[in-house]
Parts: sequence; structure tokens; C-alpha cells
Amino acid sequence: MNPLIFTTILMTVLLGTMIVMMSSHWLMIWIGFEMNLLAIIPILMKKYNPRTMEASTKYFLTQATASMLLMMAIIINLMHSGQWTITKVFNPTASIIMTSALAMKLGLTPFHFWVPEVTQGISLTSGLILLTWQKLAPMSILYQISPSINLNILLTMAVLSILVGGWGGLNQTQLRKIMAYSSIAHMGWMTAVLVYSPTLTMLNMLIYIMMTLTMFMLFIQSSSTTTLSLSHTWNKTPLTTTLILITLLSMGGLPPLSGFMPKWMIIQELTKNSSIILPTLMAIMALLNLYFYMRLTYSTSLTMFPSTNNMKMKWQFETKQITLLPPLIVMSSLLLPLTPMLSILD
Amino acid sequence: MMTYIVFILSVIFVVSFVGFSSKPSPIYGGLVLIVSGGVGCGIIMNFGGSFLGLMVFLIYLGGMLVVFGYTTAMATEQYPEVWVSNTTVMGVFLLGLLMEVMLVLYVLKSEEVGVVFKFSGMGDWAIYDTGDSGVFSEEIMGVAALYSYGAWVVIVTGWSLFVGVLVILEVTRGD
Repeated sequence: MNPLIFTTILMTVLLGTMIVMMSSHWLMIWIGFEMNLLAIIPILMKKYNPRTMEASTKYFLTQATASMLLMMAIIINLMHSGQWTITKVFNPTASIIMTSALAMKLGLTPFHFWVPEVTQGISLTSGLILLTWQKLAPMSILYQISPSINLNILLTMAVLSILVGGWGGLNQTQLRKIMAYSSIAHMGWMTAVLVYSPTLTMLNMLIYIMMTLTMFMLFIQSSSTTTLSLSHTWNKTPLTTTLILITLLSMGGLPPLSGFMPKWMIIQELTKNSSIILPTLMAIMALLNLYFYMRLTYSTSLTMFPSTNNMKMKWQFETKQITLLPPLIVMSSLLLPLTPMLSILD
Repeated sequence: MMTYIVFILSVIFVVSFVGFSSKPSPIYGGLVLIVSGGVGCGIIMNFGGSFLGLMVFLIYLGGMLVVFGYTTAMATEQYPEVWVSNTTVMGVFLLGLLMEVMLVLYVLKSEEVGVVFKFSGMGDWAIYDTGDSGVFSEEIMGVAALYSYGAWVVIVTGWSLFVGVLVILEVTRGD
């Protein structure tokens, strides 16, 4: 793509999300969502093969439907309250429709079906933008309407998302699909605690974005999109196998790595609010996630995965230098002692 | 009949939406879109928004739909689907019409209707005032406000349209 056009379109994606996050008028928020959606389509379609086109079409259709639902909820809210500000959603119908629309944008169950298919069809960098940046805008709106969200609907969607994210990722060998299911599960964790303490949602979002960025950049550096090709990194850059191990275990939520921080805080907040069964179920279902992360680490760093001899010499262009990678790796594994600092997110 | 003109126009609006949602060929979809655009213009005009109604005709029908019609004419197939050609299309169309008829009967018969929002029968459909604050027409003041207080909206929508064109050119470039 022409670099100038690419820069313009990328800046429009950023502008769209910024408009969503900074507006107090519902119409501007909707415009921000549409601008974001419109501008990310050519980024998803960077390579022109049928797979990316199909993935972009699926993404466009689901997100446009979600925007339409959001517009309907905005208009119902307008009719019942007569004003356009975002602070409180006055009508339960509008609140439920809004929650469903934002859940469709995030990829929560039962609207999760597009996430693995779209993530698989696009390149690794586009998948990175899709799974991290695109989650910021809907999550900020959920944060702002969190006092008026119907708890039953949100908790149902959250728990089902954790379940689907865990179970769905079990049979996958494609790395992008694994990251997609991991994203579904993490979104479930984030929305489960939204009504109780939105600060923890933001904390989880922060840690999740750092870990997903790290994982994707490690994949980009070794140009691997399947488990098999990831298992050849011991030959090319042996250090990244250790880093993949640490980051994946952090994503699974193991102490003493930083991925444990959001899960710990969320479970603590939920038990403080006298719900015991729910966090127990969520913690148990996070084990499913941990299982397929462990499988990745097993094939990548813990064993020399069996392959034919000619595949052992992994051929690629000169090593990509990703400047942001070392700080990200450090942040996604060593942040646990900084937990008391989460009060700055209030 | 003129008292309930908004209701009648809304019913025709929904029927034409059913007409293109049942997915005939896009040319026929454009045909009912013209009808729905005209009827929507009528609804807006009944609320006193003459400027916006004419805007619908000019920009929507006269600009966007014409371009849509040209592109569809370039991509059309030899035997385009009409509503009666395919059983599925006809079935969906008839189902939509049936639901609309049932809804109209429900509104006409009962005192109070509460589907998503409550309105008390047919009385709420009649227009008593056009929303004028007496001296100025509300709708023209809205357009004026768009260009004065709402300058940010104009910038954002203008940028969206510009990026929309860039995106379309980028997506259809194909290489």
C-alpha cells in the first residue's frame, strides 16, 4: 500500500477510537465506531487473497450489525430520557441492547463466532491490531455505562465466553486461532468484573494488551503461524523459546508472573461481593486456557518437537528487529509486585 | 386520512424495507429504496422538516442511489431475481408483509400499544404541532447549529467521508 495512504488510514483508526473514548454525545460515539470500522478494513486486507477478503467481509458484517444495534439502543435511550449524554442509560431495554451490541463488537459469547475466523484470515500484524486496539473502544463504552448494565446478561455472557474461549482453543494448532480464543476468554474475565469494579476491568485490559502484544510480536519475529513452525524456533533464535514459555505462562495466569495479577484481583473482588461459585467456576475454566498454552510451550520450549531433518533449518530473511519486544516481555512477566499501583487506574 | 398520514407513510416505509430485505436482485432493491426514500421524505416533511426532506431526494436518491444504480447495472446478471421468481424470496416477502399487517391491526384495534415504547393507539400518530418554537422553524435552526456549534461534527463526518473514499479505492485496487 502507498505509505501515505496507509498512514492516513491507520491514523483514522486511531482517530475513530479516540473519538469513541473522548465523546460524551452518543451520536459522536457511534460516528467514532463507524470511522474505526471503515478504516480498519483495508488494514485487514493488506494482502489481496480470498482469505483476507472473506475475513474482512465477516468482520465488517458483524461490526456493522453491532453498530446498528447500538444506534437503536441510543435512539430508545433518547426517546425515554430526551438527552444524548452517555452518563446513564435510563431504560433497561436500551441498556440490554447496548450491552449486546458492545458484546458483539468485543467478541463475547454468543457473538464470538467471528473472532477465530477473522483472526485466522488476516496477517499476524493485522491480527495484532484487531485483538488489541479494537477492544479499547467498546470496553471504554462498557466502562462508562457500567452502572446501568443488567448484571444477569453480562455475567452470563462473561462466563460463557470464558468457557468457549477455553474449550474452543483446545483443538487448535493455528496460532492465530489460539490467540483469538484466548482473546474471547480474556474478554470474558474483563466483563465479569465490570459491574463490580470497573477499575479491575481496565487493569485486566492493560495486562491483556501487553501480553497479547508480546505474544504476537514473538510470533512475528519468528514468522510462525502454526504450532509446528513455532516449534522450530529453537534452531533460529533459542532465546525466544524461553521468552515464549514465560509469556505463555503469564497469559495462563500463573503466579509469580504478571498475568496472575488481574485474575487474582478479579477473584478477590468477586468474592468480596459474596459470589463464591462464580469465581470458582471461572478459575476452573481458566485451566482450559492454561492447557493449550502449556501445549504450545511443550512443543516450543520444553521439547525438541519431532520434524524431518530438512525442516530443522528454518529459513527466513535476516532477523527482524522489534525494538518494543524486550520492554514488553519484561512488563508482561514481572509486573506482579507492582499490584498496589493499580489504584492509579481509578 | 390526512390526520393519519404519518402512520400510512410509515406503513409504506416498512413495507418497502421488507421489499428489499427479502433480497431480490439489487436493481429491484434500488427500486423499492426509491419508494422508501420518497415516503421517508414525506414523513419528515409532515414534521415540518421541508429542507431535510428535499435533502433526502437530492442527495440520497439523486446522488447516492443513482451511483448505486449505475454500479448495479454494471454488475447485473442475466436473469435477476424478482420477488416472485424465487420461492424463498417470495416467502420472506409475504412473511414480512404478514407481520406488518398484524402490527397495523394491533395498533388500530387496541387502546395502548407497548412494544418497545408505549403509545396510546392512533392518537399519538397525528401531528398537532410541527415543533416550531413560534418564530423560527426548529429544523432550519438545527441545520444552522450544525455549522456553528457543531463544527466538530462537520469535521469528523467530512473526514469520515474522505477516508471512506480512500478505503474504497484501496480495497478495490486489488494488487
